[in-house]
Amino acid sequence: MAIEDKVFSGDTLRSGYRFQRHWDNSMAYAFIFAELGAGIFFVSLLMNSLLGMIMGLVLVSTGKPYFHLAHMGVPSRSWRAMLRPDRSWISRGLLGLGAMIGTGFLYVIALAFGEKLGISPDSGLPGLLKVASATFAIVVMSYQGFAMSHSTAIGIWNSAIIPMASLLYSLSLGVAGALVLLPAAQAGGLVDTQLLLLLGLAIMHVMLLHGGWHGSPGARTSVELLLQTSYSKWFWGLVIAAGIVLPALIMWGAPGNRLLAIISGVAMLGGFCAWRILIFKIGVYEPILSMNPFRTAG
Amino acid sequence: MARMGMVFDLKACIGCNACVIACKQENSLPNGVFFTKTLSEEYGVFPMANRVFIPTICNHCEDAPCEKVCPTGATYTREDGIVMVDDDKCIGCSSCSVACPYDQRTQMEESDFLKGLFGNGEITPFEEDGYGRYTPGTVTKCDFCSQRVDVGLDPACVVTCPTNARIFGDLDDVHSAPSKMIRERHGRPPLPEKNTKPKVFYVN
Repeated sequence: MAIEDKVFSGDTLRSGYRFQRHWDNSMAYAFIFAELGAGIFFVSLLMNSLLGMIMGLVLVSTGKPYFHLAHMGVPSRSWRAMLRPDRSWISRGLLGLGAMIGTGFLYVIALAFGEKLGISPDSGLPGLLKVASATFAIVVMSYQGFAMSHSTAIGIWNSAIIPMASLLYSLSLGVAGALVLLPAAQAGGLVDTQLLLLLGLAIMHVMLLHGGWHGSPGARTSVELLLQTSYSKWFWGLVIAAGIVLPALIMWGAPGNRLLAIISGVAMLGGFCAWRILIFKIGVYEPILSMNPFRTAG
Repeated sequence: MARMGMVFDLKACIGCNACVIACKQENSLPNGVFFTKTLSEEYGVFPMANRVFIPTICNHCEDAPCEKVCPTGATYTREDGIVMVDDDKCIGCSSCSVACPYDQRTQMEESDFLKGLFGNGEITPFEEDGYGRYTPGTVTKCDFCSQRVDVGLDPACVVTCPTNARIFGDLDDVHSAPSKMIRERHGRPPLPEKNTKPKVFYVN
């Protein structure tokens, strides 16, 4: 059945595909801040860039909670979200987020003011904080993908590729940030890494589209929405062309150019934001029951 | 222990929406919020065109995905199988809404209450009395009218249905009306491939 023949019932009283509308743009922005900030923090931690670490922590500790609270129905009770780490990725993520911000800021303080505070760089504490904050950063980089893929209701989300996408985007944006912030000599080795990550992102998108197309009717409908409706220009233009192809060409053609590295980073950020919003918009619920004897499978 | 469930007889449903109104009245639901909906679907071409009505409701799944993802434990299952939401614990994160394959969760927005039942901003004394049970911002859903079930009554939608298209009872009791109907008329759950084990069945 072609996309134009499918019934999208929206919030009407007709049977058909229903758009996911519970997680809106403010949730997408919260996801963007978390993955961007955690990625920049993680890569900066590995590259010993104090500025990058601070920038990552600020992004995670401001934008992420702000947009999450904006989305939350009862923000004053949001602390309760950390009560069920045994079963909810939201709980696990929130605990990971708090732990990353806590250990991250302590590590930054130990790095910046260690001598004044009498903390020796050779003592075990900074090293412990570094390992702990890196571990929690990985949790923040990936947990949102797990929270989405845990939902069997929305076919396109219910895939192992979604957490991998979160991690890949987070890492590649972290590397893009490091390429802008670090001196050329220090950042040189990251160019090949970025090219590999961009290749990984391209393969991830192919896998997601392929899996969706051959998956449940809901997942296939989401892929059709992405490729055959007005969303397609955003997908091809921003997510693929600006977010992956342009940065790859820049990394490959002019790896040491600071201005082009900034353009590449901005283009990647644009592609990432578009993808995050699109993946929320194309999520659909399947018709719960079809009594139509003439209807064929999607 | 009982395992409460419901059967929808699609041959009997005439799409009158009496169940929808009874539910809204029993549960004091604000404008635009429904715990049950009767969806319609047309098929065929003239002169063989037809229209069917598909009542929908929370399926009170045995393996409820909404309960699994709830970060606060606000969603829980009672001993009789009714899936409930503890209004005091819900933070309105909507995780349950995106996890429910049947799209049966509704977030109660403050604006829903302010609109008034007639959409003119006036709150009637009936609404004022009923809205007190909800906290704006929380996510709610059908609870099979648990307040009625607790005193031995059927849910409001079942009592109101003029064609007996909704049959409620204990699915563990082989002699109960819904069990018999599921057995004799090959009741099928909605979206069985989602593995949620719904306690709501459809017969045709």
